[in-house]
Amino acid sequence: MLCVKNLVKTFDGERRRRSRAAGAESARVFAVNEISFDVEDGSLFTLLGPSGCGKTTTLRSVAGLERPDSGTIEVGGRVLFADGSGAKTVNVPANERGLGMVFQSYAIWPHMSVFNNVAFPLQVRKRADRPGKKEIAERVMRVLQTMELADLADRQATKLSGGQQQRLALARALVIEPPLLLLDEPLSNLDAKLRESLRYELKRLQRELGITSVYVTHDQVEALVLSTSIAVMRGGNVVQLGRPREIYENPNCRFVAEFIGTSNFIAGTVSQRENDRYVVDTADGPLVLDSAASIPVGTDVVVSIRPEAVEVSTASRAGEVPNEWTGKVLTRAFLGEAVDHVVAMGRHEIRARGNPSVSIEQGTEVYLRMDPSKLALVPVD
Amino acid sequence: MKTIGLWRRGRLACVLAAGIALTLVGGCGGSPTAGGPKAGGSDGPTAAEKVYAEIAGLSGKQRRDKLVELAEKEGKLDLYTSMTSDVADAVTGEFSDKFGIDVNVYRAGSETVLQRILQEQGANFRGNDVVETNANELFALNKEHFLAEYKGERRDLVPEAGRFEGWTATRFNLFAPSWNTKLVPAEQQPKTWEDLADPKWDGKLSMELADYDWYLTLYGYWKKQSKSDEEIDRLFAAMAQGAKIAKGHTVQGELLSAGQFSVVASNYSYIVERAKKKGAPVDYLPFVQPVIARPNGVGLMKTAQHPAAAMLFADWLLEEGQKLLVDEGLTPAIVEDNDPLKGVEIVPVDVKTLVEHGDEWSKRYEKVVSNGEQVKDK
Amino acid sequence: MTTTASPALPATKPEIRRVRRWWPTPKLLIIVAVVGVIGYLALVPLYYLLWGTFFDANGFSLGGFARAYGDGRIGGLVANSLWFAIGAAVLALFVGTSLAYLNVRTDVPFKALFFAASIIPLIIPGILYTIAWIFLASPDIGLLNKVIEPIFGHGIVLDVFTVWGMIWVEGLHLSPIVFLLMVAAFRAMDPSLEESALMSGATRLQVFRRITVPLTRPAIIAAVLIMTVRSLESFEVPALLGLQNGIYVFTSRIYFVLRTYPPDLGAAGALAVGLLVLAMIGVAISNLAGRSGKSFQTVTGKGFRPRPMELGRWRPVMGAAILAYFFFTVVGPLLVLLYTSFLKFYQPPSAAAFKSMSLDNYRQLLHLSQAMTALKNSVYLGLGSATLVMAAMAIGAWIVVRSRIPGRQLVDQLAFVPLVIPGLVLGLALSFVYLRSPIPIYGTLFILLIAYCTRYMPYGMRYAVTSMQQISAELEESAQVSGASWWQTFRRVLLPLLSPGLLAGWIYILVVSFRELSSSILLYSPGNEVLSILIFEQYENGQFTVLSALGVVMVLTLVVLVTVAYKLGAKVGLKQD
Repeated sequence: MLCVKNLVKTFDGERRRRSRAAGAESARVFAVNEISFDVEDGSLFTLLGPSGCGKTTTLRSVAGLERPDSGTIEVGGRVLFADGSGAKTVNVPANERGLGMVFQSYAIWPHMSVFNNVAFPLQVRKRADRPGKKEIAERVMRVLQTMELADLADRQATKLSGGQQQRLALARALVIEPPLLLLDEPLSNLDAKLRESLRYELKRLQRELGITSVYVTHDQVEALVLSTSIAVMRGGNVVQLGRPREIYENPNCRFVAEFIGTSNFIAGTVSQRENDRYVVDTADGPLVLDSAASIPVGTDVVVSIRPEAVEVSTASRAGEVPNEWTGKVLTRAFLGEAVDHVVAMGRHEIRARGNPSVSIEQGTEVYLRMDPSKLALVPVD
Repeated sequence: MKTIGLWRRGRLACVLAAGIALTLVGGCGGSPTAGGPKAGGSDGPTAAEKVYAEIAGLSGKQRRDKLVELAEKEGKLDLYTSMTSDVADAVTGEFSDKFGIDVNVYRAGSETVLQRILQEQGANFRGNDVVETNANELFALNKEHFLAEYKGERRDLVPEAGRFEGWTATRFNLFAPSWNTKLVPAEQQPKTWEDLADPKWDGKLSMELADYDWYLTLYGYWKKQSKSDEEIDRLFAAMAQGAKIAKGHTVQGELLSAGQFSVVASNYSYIVERAKKKGAPVDYLPFVQPVIARPNGVGLMKTAQHPAAAMLFADWLLEEGQKLLVDEGLTPAIVEDNDPLKGVEIVPVDVKTLVEHGDEWSKRYEKVVSNGEQVKDK
Repeated sequence: MTTTASPALPATKPEIRRVRRWWPTPKLLIIVAVVGVIGYLALVPLYYLLWGTFFDANGFSLGGFARAYGDGRIGGLVANSLWFAIGAAVLALFVGTSLAYLNVRTDVPFKALFFAASIIPLIIPGILYTIAWIFLASPDIGLLNKVIEPIFGHGIVLDVFTVWGMIWVEGLHLSPIVFLLMVAAFRAMDPSLEESALMSGATRLQVFRRITVPLTRPAIIAAVLIMTVRSLESFEVPALLGLQNGIYVFTSRIYFVLRTYPPDLGAAGALAVGLLVLAMIGVAISNLAGRSGKSFQTVTGKGFRPRPMELGRWRPVMGAAILAYFFFTVVGPLLVLLYTSFLKFYQPPSAAAFKSMSLDNYRQLLHLSQAMTALKNSVYLGLGSATLVMAAMAIGAWIVVRSRIPGRQLVDQLAFVPLVIPGLVLGLALSFVYLRSPIPIYGTLFILLIAYCTRYMPYGMRYAVTSMQQISAELEESAQVSGASWWQTFRRVLLPLLSPGLLAGWIYILVVSFRELSSSILLYSPGNEVLSILIFEQYENGQFTVLSALGVVMVLTLVVLVTVAYKLGAKVGLKQD
C-alpha cells in the first residue's frame, strides 16, 4: 500500500549553518537517512522513537508537507514523490495527495462549527468532483455518526472536550475516505485515562474500517497495543522493523530493548554456539539462550532479559532447567496485577515481574530462573 | 450582538461626553486659544522695561559698556529664533565669544516660535529674553503686547521700512525668480515678473504653496503700476496654469537643482545662492525686479529675565552682527558701504496688510495655486 | 485668567473602586494606575482639542465646524483623503501581510532581508523617503524612468505625483508596520491549522482565504485601522507629492488652518474631531469583529513546533518578489540617500556627479553643535517611551480583552484617541498643561517623553490587544488555578506569550520616535534637542545633502539598536522560534 524507499531528508538550515562553520558537505545533518519500509494494506504501521529521531519528518514527507531530498514514496501504486537515482522527479503537492491526517494538536479550526470542520475537505474539492451540498451533508453526518459526534454537529468546534476534538480530527481526516491515514501523535495531548480508552477505540476503528494507517508516537505501549508492525527509529534511521511481539521479545539492539519496555541487561561474551543455542559467559556465570542472530564465538554481547522472563522462587530446580541463579531480594513492589522483585545477584540487580500470588519478603534468599527462549542477544553498541 | 453594538456606541458617546463635561468644568477659564494674560499690559512697566528705558538714553561706547557690564552680571541669554541653524550657530557663537555670555537657543519655524511664546506668556512663563523671527510673527507678538520698546542709534540706521513698533528689522529675505541654468538658456531667463505668466513655462514653473506674502506684495505693486484687478488676476492665473506646486522653499530649491522644475517663481535668494555656491546649476541673477523683500527682525521681551543681555544682543546684531549676516549670505537691514543690492529696486512686503488681512490673502492665494492645477487636470 | 488643567480622571475609575476590599490589592493598584495613565495621556490633549474646537473667546461656538466644513471643496478633499488613505492601507496590508506570511510560514529564501525590509523604511524620515521617491520616479528626473525608457519607450512613464504615486509611496512606507503586526499574529498561530487544511485537499489560496485570514482577523483589522488613520493623518507624502498637481487632502487643509495667525484651532479642531469620530467608529467595529469569536484564540495550551511550509517550485518566484520588494522599499530609497549624502547638491548620476563625491556632509555632521546630545536624547527617549508604552499597554490590553471590569472598552478607545490628534495640537496641549503645572516638567526631556508616550500609545495598544486576543484565557486560568497570583500569572504566563507582539510594538515605537517632529518642535528646549529637530533644521537650511547623511546615520544607529534588541530578546526567550 505505502512504499517508502531510500528516503533522505537533511535539515536545510542546520546544513547551511554547519557548512558555514565547517565548510564541508560531510557536515550534513540527516533528519531522515535512507529509510525504506512497506505498509501492508489494511495494517497500522507505527513509527516509534524518541523525539528528534526523524519519525515526524518521515510522516510529513509522506504527507507532502515536507520535501525529502531524495527517495521515493508510493501509495497504492501511485508515485507521490520521487527524486534521485535516475528516476523522473515527481512531487505531488500535499493538497493533491488525497491522504487523511490527524495532527498532534488536532488543528481543529476554531472559527468553524463541528459540521464545517468535517465538511471542509469535501467543500474544497475541485468543482468537477465536488459532491453536491446534499451529498456532503450526508457524508459528513455519516462519518460524525461513526465518531459519535452527530449530536454536536452544530456546536462551535472549540467547545468540544479533548476526546471529542480528537474524534473530530479523525472524522475530518476520514471524510474523504483516504487510501492512507496519517496520525501524528494523536493521543499525546490527552490525559492518561482517556488516552488508554481512546487507544482501544482507535484500534477498533482502524480494524473495522480497514484503513491503512501510519502512526507516529514516542509511546511504546501505544505502539505495542495499536500496531500491526512497528519501525523503531533513532537518529534518522530505522533500527528495527517488525511485529510488536517480535520487537518486544527480540530487540536487535540495546536501544530498542531499552526503549520498548523495561529490560535487565547483563554483559558477557559468547563462549559456545550450537545453531540457535548460545552460551554467554557473564561475570556471574554462564547464561544459556536461544537467538536467531548469527554472532561468532568470542564476541562481546549484552543479554537483554525482560522482567517477566525472570521467575523468582524459593525452591531450587537446578538441573531441571538451565539458567538458575541465586540472589537476595532487595525490594518488592505490589503493582496490582503483578509483583516486582528486585533481586541482588552477584554484581547485578535484576528486576523480575511475576504473578501477585508469589510475593517474597525482603532479604530472602531466592532462586531466579530465566527461560532461554525469552532472553535476547544484543550486540554491544 | 446588536444590543452590544448599541451599548458600545453608547460608550463612544461617553468618551465625547466626558471630554465635553470636563470642558464645561474648566470652561470658565476661557478657551486656551483665546490668549493669556496681557503680560505687563496695564500694570506699569516691567523690570525689564525699566532696564530698557534706562539704557535707551545712552549711546555709543557708554551704552555698550553699560550693557556689557549688566549683561555679564546676568550671565546668559535665552533666544528664540527662526534663523536657520547654521546662521544661528554662527551668530550665537560669535556673540558668546565676544561677551562671554551663554546663549540658549530655541530654533523652530516662525509659526512655532510664535506658538511657543504665546503659550509661555499665557502661563506667565518667562522663557525667552529676545526673539528673532519673521515679520508676520513679530507683528502678532507686538499685537499681544509682549514686546518692549527698543530705542537706539543702531535702530535709527535701519531703513524706514524696517522699523516697526516693538521690533526692528535685522535682515531681509528676498523673493526672486530663480532658474535651472541647464534647462533655461541665458537669453530665455525671465526678465520681469510678468514673464512668469508666459505659457512657455507651463509645466516648468514651480510656485510655493504658502507664499501669500509674496503674492499680496506683488499684487499691491502691480496695482500701484495701475494694472486692473482683472489684469493682475489673469497674470497670476496664467502663472499658476500648469504650475507645479511645491511645499517649502527648501525642497523647491533642491528640486530646482535636480531639474524637476526649470523656473521657481518666488524662492528666497539665499537658498538659491547657497546651492549656486556649491556648484548647482541654478541662478537668480540678474535680479528680476522689483525684488520683494520680507523683513526679519528682533524684538525684546517685556518679561525678559536677562534684559541687558537681550538689549546687548539687539544692539550687537544691528552692528557687528550685520556683517556676519552678509557672510552667511543673507541681506542685512542696515546697508553701509558696499551694498550688494545697489541699483536694485526693492519692494518690502506689506506687513501691515499681511497681518491684518493675512487670512483673506492666504485664502486667495490658495485659490490661485489650486486653480492652476484644476486647469491642468482638464 | 487661567485655569489649571484638571487632572483628567478616566471615567472607569469609580467602577473599579467597587471591588469589595478594604486594602487595595496590587492588582487593583496596577490596574488603576494604568487606567489612570491611559486616561490622563489621552484626555489631556482631547480636552484641549475639544475645548479649542467648541469654545472661542465668547463661549460655545460651532464656528470652527462652519469654517472647516463650509468650504465648497471639502467634498473633493474628503474623497481624495479617503482614496489615498484606503489605497495606501490596502497596499500596505497586502504587501505587509504577504511578507509576514512568507517569512513566518514558509521556507522563502532571503529571510535575512526581511529584518532590514521591515525596519529601514520606518527609520527613514518621511521627508527623505518621499523625496527619494521623487528622485526615483518623477516623470522629469526620475531615475527609474530613465531606466525603463529604453525598454518601454516614451509611452510609459512612472509618475509619482499622482494619487496612485502617493498610495505607492505611503503604502510602501507603511507596509513594515503591517509586517510587524502580522508577523506577531502568524507566529502565534499553530501552523498545523493550515497544514490540516492543506491535507484536506485545499489549495494554498483556499487555505489562506478560509483558514489563515479568518484566524488572524483581529490583527488584520487592527492593521487596516491603523494604516487608514495613519494615512489620513500623514503629511509628508500628500504635501510633497499631492500638491504639485493640486491633490489636496485633509492634512494639507489642517496645515493651512493652523499656520495662519491667530491659528484657527477651532477649524483645525473641527477637522480633527471629524477624524476622531471616524476612528472611534473604526475602533468600535474592530472590537466587534475581534469579539465575535473567542474562537480566534489560536494560541492554546497545546504546544506546537512551527515548521516552515515548503514552497517548492514557487520558491524562486517568491524569492524574486522579495528581492523586488527589498529593492523598492529599502535599496532604492537608501541608495538615493547614500548617493545624495556624498554630493554637494543633488544631481542625477553622471560622471561629473561621481567625481564630485566626498565625505563633506558627514564631516559637517560631526561639527553640528548638538549632534551628539541629540543622538543621546533620541536614544533615551526612544528606549524610554517604547518601554513605558509597551509595559502599560500590556496591562491595558489585559484590561480590555480579559478583565470583566465594566467600561473596559473605554480604555481601548481612550488609548486610541491620540492617533487622531495632530502632533502640533498635542504639542500645544502639553505645553498648555505643563506650563501651569507646579511640577517642573516643561523645558525638560520629560515633556518630550510624555508627548511620545501619548503619540505612540495607540500603536502600543493595538500591538498588545492583538496579541492578547490570540491567547486563550485557559492559559491564564490554569495559572491562577495553580495558585499563581494575578501578577505572577501576568508576568510568568501572559508576558512571555505576549512577547512577540510586545517586542514588535516596542521596536516600532523605538524606531518611529526617532522621527517624531510635529510635537517635539514645540516642546523641546535648548539642550534637549533630538535627532528629528536636527533633521528639521537641516531641512530648513536647505542642507539636503547633509540631511541625507543624517538619514544614513540614523538608519545605521537604529539598525544597531534594533539588532541588539532582537538578540537580547532572543536571549531572554522573548522570541519564540
